[in-house]
Amino acid sequence: MSDHDHDHSHLSKMDARVRALESLLTEKGYIEPAALDRIIETYEHRIGPQNGARVVAKAWTDPHFAKWLEEDATAAIHSLGYTSRQGEHMVALFNTPATHHMVVCTLCSCYPWSVLGLPPTWYKSPPYRARAVSDPRGVLADFGITLPDGTSVEVHDSTAEIRYLVIPMRPDGTDDLDENALAALVSRNAMIGTALL
Amino acid sequence: MIRADELADGKAREPGKPVPRIMEPDQVDALLAKGGPADRSATSDPIFALGDTVLTINEHPTGHTRLPRYARARHGTIAKVLGHHVFPDTNARGEGEQPCWLYQVRFSAQELWGYNAAVGDSVTLDLWERYLVSS
Repeated sequence: MSDHDHDHSHLSKMDARVRALESLLTEKGYIEPAALDRIIETYEHRIGPQNGARVVAKAWTDPHFAKWLEEDATAAIHSLGYTSRQGEHMVALFNTPATHHMVVCTLCSCYPWSVLGLPPTWYKSPPYRARAVSDPRGVLADFGITLPDGTSVEVHDSTAEIRYLVIPMRPDGTDDLDENALAALVSRNAMIGTALL
Repeated sequence: MIRADELADGKAREPGKPVPRIMEPDQVDALLAKGGPADRSATSDPIFALGDTVLTINEHPTGHTRLPRYARARHGTIAKVLGHHVFPDTNARGEGEQPCWLYQVRFSAQELWGYNAAVGDSVTLDLWERYLVSS
């Protein structure tokens, strides 16, 4: 019985490599570990899909904001304080009964970090990246979505520094909800275009 | 800065090389908030306007490009003028930013994937002026 990979550690190969890299960078004086902790803390707690959900809920409840978002998403989103990396240039895509929007980066894994945080693994995977452009309806079916007849799919391949945020349609029966309650309904995948609300 | 044998076991064989500065914890928030915008002041007017039809070039560079193979030599329509942005192809080769106009270009799914694609479906790509010719 050979399990030499697991004799000394329960870490996966990737975890072990990351730890080795971090400890070398620290030992050689190239990084300050507390700065690294601050970056990780930022993406664990302060920058994530909750930011995008605020943008969507505001667009649903404030027509002036929705118009601004449509005309200049960068300024509208920055006005809410979401100004961080990978959100320098934003475009908002409004789903309608006629058009369903979906976002991919076929070349790498470009993603609107400032409003959605770090991308999920499936978003970075070669199968999603290849199929989203060539067979978007098949990808949507894998996510359990069938679009109504008469709805076209528009896929956006993020080939430049523009980052895309999908604004899903507001669900029926939510007229009584305030902005906070509405934000709680908005899922990450709905803002990528791989879920409906 | 780090040798392969060091990375293999996490043990440093030699001391670090001098670096000009490292990121301090109290600089993190400001650096993340600042980001790295890619737009640059325009030195010309955009050649194309909303609704113009364009044809993508059919070049196959060995280095960096943002024009994927599936969208080369295809007809599309200008959907947005996105701004005047750093041109990644030259920037990646160390030939400078050479900013130029960037457009969102819409292609019908059938133009890209043939008649099996659904009528009415489309794909947009963000493409620099240097990838586009009038059609």
